Amino acid sequence: MTSRERLQAALRHEQPDRIPVDFGSTGTTGVHASVVAGLREHYGLEKRPVKIHEPYQMLGLVEDDLRQAMGLDVEGAFALNTMFGFPAEAWKPFRLWDLDVLVPVDFNTTVDTNGDLLIYPEGDLSAPPSGRMPRGGYFFDSIIRQEPIDDDRLDPADNLEEFGPISEAEVAHYRRIGARAAASQWGVIAALPGTYLGDIALVPAPFLKYPKGIRDVTEWYVSTRSRRSYIHKMFEKQVEYAFDNLARVHAAVGDAAFDAVFVCGTDFGTQTSTFCSVATYRELWLPYYREISGWIHRNTRWKTFKHSCGAVEKLIPSFIESGFDILNPVQCSASGMDPRHLKSAYGRTLVFWGGGVDTQKTLPFGTPEEVRREVLERCEVFSRDGGFVFNSIHNLQAGTPVANVVAMLDAVREFNGSAKGD
Amino acid sequence: MDDSKILYDAIVAGNAKAALAATKAALAEGVEPFELVSRQMIPAMDEVGKLFECEEYFVPELLLAGRAMKGALEVIRPLLAAGGVEPVGRVVIGTVKGDLHDIGKNLVASLLEGAGFEVVDLGTDVPAAKFAQAIREKKADIACLSALLTVTMPAMRDTIEAFRQAGIRDQVKVLIGGAPVTQQYADEIGADGYSDNASAAVGLARKMVGVGGQPN
Repeated sequence: MTSRERLQAALRHEQPDRIPVDFGSTGTTGVHASVVAGLREHYGLEKRPVKIHEPYQMLGLVEDDLRQAMGLDVEGAFALNTMFGFPAEAWKPFRLWDLDVLVPVDFNTTVDTNGDLLIYPEGDLSAPPSGRMPRGGYFFDSIIRQEPIDDDRLDPADNLEEFGPISEAEVAHYRRIGARAAASQWGVIAALPGTYLGDIALVPAPFLKYPKGIRDVTEWYVSTRSRRSYIHKMFEKQVEYAFDNLARVHAAVGDAAFDAVFVCGTDFGTQTSTFCSVATYRELWLPYYREISGWIHRNTRWKTFKHSCGAVEKLIPSFIESGFDILNPVQCSASGMDPRHLKSAYGRTLVFWGGGVDTQKTLPFGTPEEVRREVLERCEVFSRDGGFVFNSIHNLQAGTPVANVVAMLDAVREFNGSAKGD
Repeated sequence: MDDSKILYDAIVAGNAKAALAATKAALAEGVEPFELVSRQMIPAMDEVGKLFECEEYFVPELLLAGRAMKGALEVIRPLLAAGGVEPVGRVVIGTVKGDLHDIGKNLVASLLEGAGFEVVDLGTDVPAAKFAQAIREKKADIACLSALLTVTMPAMRDTIEAFRQAGIRDQVKVLIGGAPVTQQYADEIGADGYSDNASAAVGLARKMVGVGGQPN
């Protein structure tokens, strides 16, 4: 099987020759630049600075040579613009504390009086900064830029600036990445424009110079309770835009380019619970998700990928009803997210893309042997009858020992070998 | 004595405007500020905590109740101070060095205020020395340290170590919390307590200052 066939089989819930593995294809299955650098060194690859393709989380680009060395099967078809509103292209050198990397040419930063790094939307140094990395930190957080809210003047259109019709430049970008993806030996997952509904990482709009509407994270959360009609109006319009944008993207790339599409990254779980009741999810999100997933399923062969961190077990039946084919990152460390229960209850319907190893404890702080044991156990549980793409629970974080990452990948190989009877 | 439950109901419903109006009306009628706190606000926040723990309320409802409580408290706090009413305890709270996340920390801070604690919120990305200085200056009973990120959890250990070196570790109870934090980690780094949610953190803080156990 090629990598692509392997991924496609897993997504169809058929047993592939071995478990497909993903690191680096999306903003929630990625690898911090410092870990990419460590892995390149470990595998003896050509010495060159890592490209930061997603500056918000400082994710490093996993290029073909590293993908082969790590035994990966999936590549990402990324959106034109990064979280700070500029394209990941035209690279320039940058020193991230003690690591030499390459960043997009519009990655423009200043240092504030605390020594924190500030970054600017669209690289425009004349606009207020939209991201801050604490001195010595590993990635950016959004700077909240919230105009005072007057409830009588709130207009859902203000929260939709980023979800309108995509530009011709974006369509051309999709045409380019679609052509590349169609010819790829790797499985491909693509980012879609404007299908995120209330993703808390996007609410502050670090990519916009002067965001309007509800942009404060806390204000957004309370609005899901206290301004529900505003959010309904916003989502209704967003879905309308999404239909047009999806049609244009689909026309530009065709059916064969992508195996899966990243529909939405809204987190519904905390470590121990959910952010809302099942009833609220079903009232406020499900109808809109179902429309978006329905369009994709009616018009394409793409599988729909839903990311949500946290303890979302109670919401999984509603995720399935929303039309999601794939769940990520499968946070088994959260309450109620027992791997065996998840696989037996939902594994015939839902593909688990993640859950391969815990990134809050085992991978960053455990021994290589502890990592190996956990990976072998998770592979055993999740891989039966396909429906599993190996990935850690969310991105490989800065500070993760390379020896543990290698132990993780070796354990997947060990499992795959024994599964084949080698 | 005030037997009405208007302020209580407004806080439980998360209605900040109604809570403020009820507070002002009660004070105008001569209700003692301390009575409002002890008979309406603290029971209201207890009820909100119970609703959260039985999953009728979620983070948005906690945030709304916290706002309603805070608005009322801003009117009442100066009156309590003028009347010589002591808080049930003094808390210094912040998100540790390198971490900019504050929703969980803010929730704990507002619920603690609602439970009658005096809370000094140091914000996010707080160096250990700043915690130590605030503990000394405010004579804090409790230090609450928050971290959302796996990569910033070690700053909790460093902060507790800094308290030891500053000679103030025995003067303050250290409570920790945040998504990646566990009881095991609290034990490892020598914290005095851990809670996996904001509501239970208040019960823990009460216990630390000897005003009863968990609220429910």
